[in-house]
Amino acid sequence: MPAGRPGPAAQSARRPPRPLSSLWSPLLLCVLGVPRGGSGTHTAVISPQDPTLLIGSSLQATCSIHGDTPGATAEGLYWTLNGRRLPSELSHLLNTSTLALALANLNGSRQQSGDNLVCHARDGSILAGSCLYVGLPPEKPFNISCWSRNMKDLTCRWTPGAHGDTFLHTNYSLKYKLRWYGQDNTCEDYHTVGPHSCHIPKDLALFTPYEIWVEATNRLGSARSDVLTLDVLDVVTTDPPPDVHVSRVGGLEDQLSVRWVSPPALKDFLFQAKYQIRYRVEDSVDWKVVDDVSNQTSCRLAGLKPGTVYFVQVRCNPFGIYGSKKAGIWSEWSHPTAASTPRSERPGPGGGVCEPRGGEPSSGPVRRELKQFLGWLKKHAYCSNLSFRLYDQWRAWMQKSHKTRNQHRTRGSCPRADGARREVLPDKL
Amino acid sequence: MDPQADSSISFLPHLEAKIRQTHNLARLLTKYAEQLLEEYVQQQGDPFGMPGFSPPRLSLAGLSGPSPSHAGLPLSERLRLDAAALGALPALLDAVRRHQAELNPRSPRLQRSLEEAARQARALGAAVETVLAALGSAARGPGPEHSATTALSTANSAASIFSAKVLGLQVCGLYGEWVNRTEGDLSQLVHGGVA
Repeated sequence: MPAGRPGPAAQSARRPPRPLSSLWSPLLLCVLGVPRGGSGTHTAVISPQDPTLLIGSSLQATCSIHGDTPGATAEGLYWTLNGRRLPSELSHLLNTSTLALALANLNGSRQQSGDNLVCHARDGSILAGSCLYVGLPPEKPFNISCWSRNMKDLTCRWTPGAHGDTFLHTNYSLKYKLRWYGQDNTCEDYHTVGPHSCHIPKDLALFTPYEIWVEATNRLGSARSDVLTLDVLDVVTTDPPPDVHVSRVGGLEDQLSVRWVSPPALKDFLFQAKYQIRYRVEDSVDWKVVDDVSNQTSCRLAGLKPGTVYFVQVRCNPFGIYGSKKAGIWSEWSHPTAASTPRSERPGPGGGVCEPRGGEPSSGPVRRELKQFLGWLKKHAYCSNLSFRLYDQWRAWMQKSHKTRNQHRTRGSCPRADGARREVLPDKL
Repeated sequence: MDPQADSSISFLPHLEAKIRQTHNLARLLTKYAEQLLEEYVQQQGDPFGMPGFSPPRLSLAGLSGPSPSHAGLPLSERLRLDAAALGALPALLDAVRRHQAELNPRSPRLQRSLEEAARQARALGAAVETVLAALGSAARGPGPEHSATTALSTANSAASIFSAKVLGLQVCGLYGEWVNRTEGDLSQLVHGGVA
């Protein structure tokens, strides 16, 4: 009896599916008996069994009945595909015991387990079935990107080709090898950061390039991505900075102090960390990002709104690790930490920048000079309780007063460190 | 006071508790079995799951659904049959799971459900056997699972994917039928009391 013929393109691209018997344990093979037809007297066989076809190709199939009852005939048989009866004009009797079917311009399979083509007896009972796999061969995967967390592992992600997974199940295999020597290795831990990703947990070499690629395979063929070459040291990321603390700066209603710890996993390695801070008002979704926080673990946000809750996050980029020239990969953001600015009568400004322990941006150099002066005072004027804290308290007092400042100088005495009423002011101010 | 009588009297509450517990388990698994069947038919595509879909019943050596005469059997015999069927089901459910891993690889939930069903069948079967033993009615010897693994014969024809889908449907259906039957038999024991 004639077998179904897929389109010409499918014949070279198609891989024969694995025999189903190989999927079954001996247990099941030995328990399968002869199917008893719903009519109780005859069964049938569909040919081809479980074919794989290209989208747009044609299929010619047959349903041949084996009759126990004399006179069993194919007359009255009909076909359904995925539960829907096929028009009678698509089928015809080849002979008394065989009903043929011709399908043209096939659509892609509706489910990954194959379309259900069923041959029915006149009374509707099921005589036989065959599963059709209609789809396209995989396209080349592309856009492979990889990163290493603390130089201990490698995770890669890729984009599948356009139609690779739409109609037929496509298997993706990430392969890697050392560029100059060694054998191909296959990644085993898939779907770690999304459906098209794989994680290599260990045994990675540093200071030597890897070649990485992805192979896509389905019933109609295979495709291979371009090769990505990289050194693990050039794609390092790390954990978010731990222990992020956000606190008020005395009574200053437009500032918050942010402190964090550098990621401990990389603390023993030579690298120049970059940090970024982002913050937002509690009921807003718009983050403001502070970029210019380089290699320090504290920062002061200024120009904030008084009496407002802010959420703050920090992330780290360990660029230049072991002399790598690459840009490095930002870590995830730390968990949000919240703090509120003190409340004030006056509305504060809307924006803000990060200052390394600074006040208003314009007083940067003033602040540095003040710091130097305070250091000198401590050494020479026996005023051990002088500090930036007092200076900030003074600024807060000045902001609250709304008046021309009357400055009181006190010579020869040092204020108490806590709640001092008389404050020593640097001469140069 | 007769110490033997004492111990049997004190044993009864434990047995009744065990029966009730096993009955509750069967009732719970009846719900899970319905969900498994729904999930299974959804993944195979139409006409599986359509009203009136009735594929040919394939022969599974040593395991079929509860017979019409099951209800007329003595309770202990019914429970023995329940235990035997529940003992045979895990291997079949495991085989269906392995096959579905190939047919429906993007349906890990179905595979998990099949794996859980095998564990559940094993647990319920063991619990029924415990009840039978406590009642003084031991379960029979090696069940259908054992006889199937020792029988080696080749199939008349290579199994097709469609017949594999049908077989999986049948196994999931049998699981539901036997769990339901077990629940019914145990409820008689719960309400009738331990004789």
